[in-house]
Amino acid sequence: MDALREWLATTPMAQGMDPELLTGLAMLTFASLVLVGVALAAMIFIWCERKIAGYMQSRYGPMYTGRFHGWLQSIADGVKLLLKEDIWPANADKLLFRIGPLLVFTGAFLGYAVLPFSPTWVGANLDIGLLYAFAASSLVVTGVLAAGWGSNNKWSLFGAMRGAAQVVSYEIPLGLAVLPIVMSVGTLNLSQLIIAQQGYIWNWHVFNPIFFFAFFLYLISSLAEVNRLPFDLPETESELVSGYHTEYTGMKFAFFFLGEYADMFVVSAIAVTVFLGGWYTGIPAVDNFVHPAVVFIGKSVLLVMVQIWLRWTLPRLRVDQLMFVCWKVFIPATLGLVFLYGLSRVILR
Amino acid sequence: MVKILNDIRESITSIATGMGITFRHLGKKPVTQQYPDERWSMPDRFRGFVHNDVPRCTACLACAKDCPVDCIYIETIGKGKERQMSRYAIDYNKCIWCSLCTEHCPTDCITMSHDYDHAVYRRERLVYEFVDEPVVPFKPPKPEKKPKPAATPATSATDAAATPATDAAATPKPSDDGSES
Repeated sequence: MDALREWLATTPMAQGMDPELLTGLAMLTFASLVLVGVALAAMIFIWCERKIAGYMQSRYGPMYTGRFHGWLQSIADGVKLLLKEDIWPANADKLLFRIGPLLVFTGAFLGYAVLPFSPTWVGANLDIGLLYAFAASSLVVTGVLAAGWGSNNKWSLFGAMRGAAQVVSYEIPLGLAVLPIVMSVGTLNLSQLIIAQQGYIWNWHVFNPIFFFAFFLYLISSLAEVNRLPFDLPETESELVSGYHTEYTGMKFAFFFLGEYADMFVVSAIAVTVFLGGWYTGIPAVDNFVHPAVVFIGKSVLLVMVQIWLRWTLPRLRVDQLMFVCWKVFIPATLGLVFLYGLSRVILR
Repeated sequence: MVKILNDIRESITSIATGMGITFRHLGKKPVTQQYPDERWSMPDRFRGFVHNDVPRCTACLACAKDCPVDCIYIETIGKGKERQMSRYAIDYNKCIWCSLCTEHCPTDCITMSHDYDHAVYRRERLVYEFVDEPVVPFKPPKPEKKPKPAATPATSATDAAATPATDAAATPKPSDDGSES
């Protein structure tokens, strides 16, 4: 952000501009860059997901649009969604129905503000970045609730209730899983969390035995947090039609879709930041040649692919199983890890 | 507690197995056949849409007479040397793909092709016209005067490259008003 602001200050347009205004302009530029990036990335993820799903099921996935392996499929779908009729269900709560998808996307999008793509490419280098990211991503659940309630549809409402229960529950293990690392590094600042993993690959937090389990728990909880498949109970197309977005068409539906993929990237990026060494390649000599943003985004994309992989491997859980896993296994386990790490700090001091 | 730990171990191993399977499938070639582009080659004796190779047709009406459902319409004008075939049409609404028409064709010009995907929007379009304007029927050369019934419909069906002719024939006649749905 600061780098962007400095670059903007050198442009002829900014000569003699009020510094406050310049900062605002830099913020706006960064936000729009990220917005475009998110939209593009979501399209690419959707295409990747469809291709991966296809090949995992011994079929091709999209093949025709754009000649080469249907690479234009997502764009064609986007255009279709743009042109689609905007249908309002009868007796829908107009306000809630409208703000539902916006809240979902905003919640996912807000997280990008703190993601440290590189030492300089940070939207806002907050000292409580981690907390902010979790808080922003839990905004998604309000959108889901609004959408489910506003749709005036029992399936939507069921989906929204499940989504709320699930996300609120899994916030806890999600937050607790990163706590040992926060204890170890002593900051919630995402950039500093990465800098703490500088050096060779074994400095990454995953390779610490306690943190490894934390990573594992974080990964699973994050799947539940973004409503991806083993935990996609808010959607469950086999029982709830399509859950909270049953009644949505056109651009409103597109926003849910975009929000889901944007959120997947956010949780993956946080996992990369906290556990997988962020923008470091793990070999100090290589770090000088590769742009940190490339490394960071590459790792995050890999984790997104793992989420897609999991989705096309695992069946869906039952609601009670989901809650059992969260409250009776994950929360005690993550608490145990926090306790264990605290103990090890005291003993090994 | 032990049960939960056992469950965790079991689920981790089973998930790992499942992910291994899906990962292996990622590299395998899909089994999908890209249908309109790639097709199965039909067995030799497959009975597709009946095709009439008009230049070889003698307009003898044998096929029309053989047809149990009367779906072959042949109209001729003139007599003797001036005899011309003005219409040769097959109504696939009625056709039962019995292959009887191919049995007695003296010149093997009517065959069962390997085409099968001729879906249309209107019923009238299934009446395929093979003759645009009156043609002089084929006169078989003298030596082949006593034509045996076609050896087998199978062999004749193999080399029937039916598509272009049927397509050309399919377009003109039926009274289509342009609205296709």
